[in-house]
Amino acid sequence: MKREHSQLDPPPPPPPPPSCVAGPSGKGKMWEEEQTDGGMDELLAVLGYNVRSSDMVEVAQKIEQLEEAMGAFQADGINHLASDTVHYDPSNLCTWLESMLTEFNPTMPAGLGLDPVPAPSVFDESSFIAPAESSTITSLDFSHQRVLEEPSTSDYDLKAIPGKAMYGANNSQNSSNNYLSLSSASASSLSSSTTTRENKRLKTSEFYPPESTRPIVLADSQENGIRLVHALMACAEAVQQNNLTLAEAFVKQIRFLAVSQAGAMGKVATHFAEALARRIYGLYPQSPIDHSFSELLEMQFYETCPYLKFAHFTANQAILEAFDGKRRVHVIDFSMNQGMQWPALMQALALRPGGPPAFRLTGIGPPAADNTDQLQQVGWKLAQLAESIHVEFEYRGFVANSLADLDASMLEIKPSEVDSVAVNSVFELHKLLAQPGAIDKVLSVVKNIKPDIFTVAEQEANHNGPVFLDRFTESLHYYSTMFDSLEGSVNSPENHKAMTEAYMGNQICNVVACEGADRVERHETLAQWRTRFSSAGFIPAHIGSNAYKQASMLLALFAGGDGYKVEENNGCLTLGWYTRPLIATSAWKLAAKR
Amino acid sequence: MQQQQKEKKLKFFINDDIDILIEILKRLDGRSLCVAACVCRLWRTLARNDSLWEELCFRHVSSPPPSSVRPVVLALGGYKRLYMVCLRPVLSRLGLAELTSHRVKRTWTRDELQLSLSLFCVHYYERLGAAAAAGDTDRSLGECDASTSSLMFLCKPVNV
Repeated sequence: MKREHSQLDPPPPPPPPPSCVAGPSGKGKMWEEEQTDGGMDELLAVLGYNVRSSDMVEVAQKIEQLEEAMGAFQADGINHLASDTVHYDPSNLCTWLESMLTEFNPTMPAGLGLDPVPAPSVFDESSFIAPAESSTITSLDFSHQRVLEEPSTSDYDLKAIPGKAMYGANNSQNSSNNYLSLSSASASSLSSSTTTRENKRLKTSEFYPPESTRPIVLADSQENGIRLVHALMACAEAVQQNNLTLAEAFVKQIRFLAVSQAGAMGKVATHFAEALARRIYGLYPQSPIDHSFSELLEMQFYETCPYLKFAHFTANQAILEAFDGKRRVHVIDFSMNQGMQWPALMQALALRPGGPPAFRLTGIGPPAADNTDQLQQVGWKLAQLAESIHVEFEYRGFVANSLADLDASMLEIKPSEVDSVAVNSVFELHKLLAQPGAIDKVLSVVKNIKPDIFTVAEQEANHNGPVFLDRFTESLHYYSTMFDSLEGSVNSPENHKAMTEAYMGNQICNVVACEGADRVERHETLAQWRTRFSSAGFIPAHIGSNAYKQASMLLALFAGGDGYKVEENNGCLTLGWYTRPLIATSAWKLAAKR
Repeated sequence: MQQQQKEKKLKFFINDDIDILIEILKRLDGRSLCVAACVCRLWRTLARNDSLWEELCFRHVSSPPPSSVRPVVLALGGYKRLYMVCLRPVLSRLGLAELTSHRVKRTWTRDELQLSLSLFCVHYYERLGAAAAAGDTDRSLGECDASTSSLMFLCKPVNV
């Protein structure tokens, strides 16, 4: 998001009263206030403006006044403001705004409250975000995919929608860290008629009293982003109500708006638009996506962002600790893929004090489309590695369409005196929720295996609710955060990033467009998995601080990824982007051991 | 006058005393060691000696490594490769690089080393995959491209 401003001759004499000044043409310039830890505001810093958070209130006030002033005039455009305003120091946002204000209306005292100025219908584009009566302006920041909450004083019709639970109420006084979503009420008001815009225009003409302590939240300069989210929500609402013609119209609008959005939001919106279109037209993928292609995408996902690496490293650490002192170990991997998890474990086993155990690996995977034995190839590579580092290695690959087809007897489990067993599943268990009874069968198989440890890594989101709209909203937030974190990764070549985005796009399509047995991306939250495992007879095994340290260090390696946060959650580790946890790794053992 | 010239000819020349040279090289940091490898052929041969790099990797780690480490690292490609491909980028990313220009030498602990080792192992595994895919399993893995994708996140970002 760039803003242009040019230098002019310093200091400008107050220009003639801006009777020729236009109302805001399209770009109400607003920025989002973001709470920081002190020092510079981090969001504005991204834009190149160093604003201290202590100054933010002042800045916000001035912006508000500017907005009011802009609304007061009915002329065609105030574009000249952008080009004519003197801007000495880009890091000093405050004085720049002041200079704009004084240029705009020399009689307007900066920093004080203004007489109410009705903002007429000029607020066309900005209608969705123009302030109403309340003390905060809801807005969306698309560099960080957050939507900010407006306290209840407003009658502005954006309200919270279900899904706030994912963020935990973060009602700080500034309300700057609040997450908001758009209400079904607003969505339905949008879907009701095109006169909604008129309604909004009228709303914005209402007076809002300036208050000195009012926290102002400002949106991205392109309100298209906000309209985009509105359109997405409205479309989902329409689909929920089975109003497919209306939904179709919204999809077109979404596509159109998404193109105008640079960055993560545009990409997310495009994927969701496609998914919605698929749902509307009933274009469920008839057959699952070619597995080797999806494996390729997963490899790119592995390389570009830390989520898979995090899952692997933390699970490995838990397994390593469980295997302490054992001479023969057996790992059963439900998510074999390319076997990227196991080199690190084998190396750690090779270097453990007392020497490496005999390592046996059973890999389970789906049949490959081209009939090549992928699992065997992976096993061969791992065997080569094992030989190099002198670890006694044995491998067995199992092809299964679904984990529920497995039986403990097939896996040739040796008695526990001989082998110490671990079961590992990374992003596989949620797929079982698509078939009734499958997850229970698999959990009972795991219990029959009698593992010393059962490591599970899953997405931390609830994409399996019964109501479509809820799922849509949840996944919109989740994948927006994921795409956001991807934007930060500067190291990957563009094609790798594109493949990672395609990987996530496939998941989005599945969550939104599919139903029934086709919908395999049935993510559930850690709390839900905990309940499930506890009722199946597992007790949690705490993942130790070694794993936490290693994970934190791993994340520190990702440049541009300052937002990644590892957190400990009752013995489980979660990886998130800023305050939103995205992946959770947990470890389990049997309640009653032999 | 002639005697002074004769004395000049008997001046000490480091390349005559390889043991001393090795002792000196052993104490260098990574960057200097690489620079030293560019001085002359003798220095290059010496600097490629993996034990120098092993010294470097473990220099700041408090306790000596167990004996099992060396064969594993050698099997995965050697200490020089470990340092260049994994340890150095990890340290620089974590802000622990040795800054010879400021004469500040930071230290790293076993944890950074272990993480680097894990990443190194994954990197080796990927090279195995690349070699297999190229259909040339006999080709020495040392010739494979060092920057496989799994470590791409460690590469310096390009200033666009």
